[in-house]
Amino acid sequence: MPKSFSYKTIFVGLALIIVLGMVVNISLGSVHIPFQEVLKILTGQEASKHTWAHIIIQYRLPKAITAILTGFGLSVSGLLMQTLFRNPLAGPFVLGISSGAGLGVALLVMGGSLLGVGIFNSSFSLAIAASLGSFIVLLAILLVARNIRDTMAILIIGLMFGSLTAAVVNILSYFASMEKLQQYVFWNLGSLGNLSWPQVALFVSIIFIGLLCTLFSVKGLNALLLGEQYAISMGVSVKKLRYIIMIATSLLAGSITAFVGPIAFIGLAVPHITRMLLKSSNHFILIPATMLIGGIVMLFCDTVAQLPGSQLTLPINAITSIIGAPMVIWLLLRKRKILL
Amino acid sequence: MTFVSKTKLNTFDFMKNIKATFLSVSIALSLLFLTVSCSEKTKKEVTPAVSQTIEVTYAKGFTVENKDTYTLITVTKPWPNADRTFTYALIPKGTPTPTGEFDAVVQTPVENLVVTSTTHIPSLEALAVENTLVGFPDTQYVSSPKTRARIDNGLVKELGINESINTETVIDLDPDVVIGFSINNQNKTYATLQKTGIPVVYNGDWAEETPLGKAEWIKFFAPFFNKEKEADSIFSHIVTEYNNAKQLAAASNTKPTVVSGAMYRDVWYLPGGRSWMAQFLADANTQYLWSDNNDTGSLSLNFETVYDKAINADFWLAPGQFTAYSQLLDESASYKNFKAFKNKNIYTFSNTKGATGGLLYYELAPSRPDLVLKDLIYFTHPNVLTNYTPQFFKPLE
Amino acid sequence: MSTTTTYTLEANALSIGYTHKNEITTIAENLSFQLQKGELIGLVGANGMGKSTLLKTLCGMIPSLGGVVTFNGKQLKNYTEQNLAKELSIVLTGAIPPSNLTVSEIIALGRQPYTNWIGSLSKQDKAKVIEVIDLLKLSSLKHKKSYELSDGQLQKVLLGRALAQDTSVIVLDEPTTHLDIYHKAYILKLLKEVAHTTQKTILFSTHEIDLAIQLCDQMMILTKDNFTVDQPCNLISKGSFNDLFPKDLIHFDQTTGSFRVHK
Repeated sequence: MPKSFSYKTIFVGLALIIVLGMVVNISLGSVHIPFQEVLKILTGQEASKHTWAHIIIQYRLPKAITAILTGFGLSVSGLLMQTLFRNPLAGPFVLGISSGAGLGVALLVMGGSLLGVGIFNSSFSLAIAASLGSFIVLLAILLVARNIRDTMAILIIGLMFGSLTAAVVNILSYFASMEKLQQYVFWNLGSLGNLSWPQVALFVSIIFIGLLCTLFSVKGLNALLLGEQYAISMGVSVKKLRYIIMIATSLLAGSITAFVGPIAFIGLAVPHITRMLLKSSNHFILIPATMLIGGIVMLFCDTVAQLPGSQLTLPINAITSIIGAPMVIWLLLRKRKILL
Repeated sequence: MTFVSKTKLNTFDFMKNIKATFLSVSIALSLLFLTVSCSEKTKKEVTPAVSQTIEVTYAKGFTVENKDTYTLITVTKPWPNADRTFTYALIPKGTPTPTGEFDAVVQTPVENLVVTSTTHIPSLEALAVENTLVGFPDTQYVSSPKTRARIDNGLVKELGINESINTETVIDLDPDVVIGFSINNQNKTYATLQKTGIPVVYNGDWAEETPLGKAEWIKFFAPFFNKEKEADSIFSHIVTEYNNAKQLAAASNTKPTVVSGAMYRDVWYLPGGRSWMAQFLADANTQYLWSDNNDTGSLSLNFETVYDKAINADFWLAPGQFTAYSQLLDESASYKNFKAFKNKNIYTFSNTKGATGGLLYYELAPSRPDLVLKDLIYFTHPNVLTNYTPQFFKPLE
Repeated sequence: MSTTTTYTLEANALSIGYTHKNEITTIAENLSFQLQKGELIGLVGANGMGKSTLLKTLCGMIPSLGGVVTFNGKQLKNYTEQNLAKELSIVLTGAIPPSNLTVSEIIALGRQPYTNWIGSLSKQDKAKVIEVIDLLKLSSLKHKKSYELSDGQLQKVLLGRALAQDTSVIVLDEPTTHLDIYHKAYILKLLKEVAHTTQKTILFSTHEIDLAIQLCDQMMILTKDNFTVDQPCNLISKGSFNDLFPKDLIHFDQTTGSFRVHK
């Protein structure tokens, strides 16, 4: 493509911003740690206070990585959904895929006590339960939506599935014990912190597999931009493509929902922001750009949520919406056209 | 929630969110017995010529006056920041209703009643009137032994979930009075009950901010059963015990530092510096690390902040729902760096459960502050109370 | 049927229709024809006679109820999706979903059957795209976004995409709807030129019978009981167009080759 040079510049720029954003994110927090100390700790030198080293290495660094992974995964899964359903309003949250993950977690956390079975609540089983939950909801949506051409109907079906899962969760929470309910409620608030390094490693590998699946769908996704029939006529096996996208989305959205909790806005909005900034619909460009911008937005939201200097932390879920929603509205007002 | 789903499409999720917020609030309530800051209500000026006031020293939320023909209970603080007081007239059976505006008129002695919080039950048992209890919401987790036995024998009707009591069953029971509690003035269930003529009386023990204040609410229950004298002697005993323990602790020459609460995700929830828990910690002659804080409720602080401040705390008391060191590690590996963790100086009330798994602390602690204080002293000043068995707190497993 | 010439597209005793919950609705039966390379073929018929169904069956989008479709001597059912994409390309009626795709990106998508797993364009692919852009004189538009194009321009671009796919057969479903009379003529004339210069078989369905008569090498007429394929002049002399529509309102005027309203 003739524009590839300028895209290269954009990617280098985005990569620099994400590195910069990560350094800023790690340097700021409730506890004031001088920048030189942060650098010392990051480069493996002895810090003047050993709690500082722990805060940086065991808390802020995994949190920053989690933020980036969350941004990567949610925005890419949003992009996949929008192209697959050819619907600019699609996203893991709108389609009930996040609720499906929530149901998986709810069943594991609260259902266990209901059935009188103690299930080991490791982070691994949470991730599997959440991914399975989102996979099942996505499968159900695809099955129901198979014969429906109307994109609004698909959205409504997604919302209905979201409501259904929410209803099941409500019933579960009605019968769950206080401690279990509490565990679920806190999970539902969402948070990027408190992932241990082994959990981060697991998170990284699941996101990596999800993104790898995405890579294999790039070609088909571009064909899908013209519609399903064109895609088939160009030799794309749409069925296979659907399964790859489904697996990728459930891995990405599911694991994120498991490790971080339900995070709004990112999945819906970042793909739009990316399209408007890059003025491209080519997934070869869009996917990496969406990933990077998603990572940057999450880092920024987390930095704000930490309220540097104060002792408090705001829920990340609220921040993503507060920062993100006006951004999308502003972009839409300028462009007046929603594209895929 | 995405902005689209919240504002336009998915009102259901929005409702869910409200519920989640409400749940987390009520969880925080039961967890820390938080008492939100509120404007102090001055007690009503009373003219001694017409009535005799029962002495209420520590509790700020109610007064009891003996009028000529009836007893007047005034609840000044049914919930934090209440904008009005509630007056209840207690009249002996067979006497006419006195003139005046009352929120409820109850005939005494009450022969059957419904209470709504597990914290009400120990007062009934202490006054030996537990056999008047005919209905209770969520009977599953009641631990007090006598009431437990009555529930198991089917003598106490299950009334469903606390936030939405099964109105029909209550009307069918037709109790002399319902002792309710509410977090605001919006309780529709109670309004329905009142319409059918069942008196509903608000109990504000949970909004009380001091250990002895909470316990003094036994004097609120007493007039319903004409047991004022018993209540007075029970409470005086608790005050004596409490103050004795406090003095013993004060004599100790150590003042260990204490951290409390626990993290959920990366937010550490811990009691405010003016909270119920913080006052216990102060009376136990310990240095609660957030004692300079002015909050009566709970604090939700960033992990970093707590880590930085509490890493060297001597004791860690009441770490949320955690019952074992391994559970703490499962939640966050950072816990193992705390001095209290390394020295195995973490104590919890979550290991002490009643027959059906309800936590004894939530039910009994508000009415027995003397026992709570002794528990805390027992662990933080090991040489002070030698002949004592802790009632609520145990070391983490 | 000839044994020496290989027809690019061939149908033999083809039955078309729909199967819905074990209920078979046959729309047309016993359709047979042979199409050669370099031909422009117009398919006409009244609404509901099965033009779309026929085209969809030929493209393998819906299964046939009987008979055989053959591309370059190989039966349709023996093609994989991937291989069929090298023999047959399509242009559907109507717009594509709104996107940021540029004209050259859309045309380049036509190269998908030939590109690697991630879809990167080789030198040959790029050359083909440039060739198509030059052929359709699209170079002034090539950086335009799809949503910025007029209906006529978009139709040209979608034809370009099909051409880039470099198949022996191109099927277009009503390529002239939504266009004004000038652009209708323009697109059909373009199809004829392309068919002749690139030696591809181009089959399209249309309602522009008078234009088709003037431009097509062959025409297919699909009526309720009849299916005829022949050169337009032969069809006129045979009177085949007379049966196309009910006769209460319009009639076919053989001298002008167009329909006239009863006065």
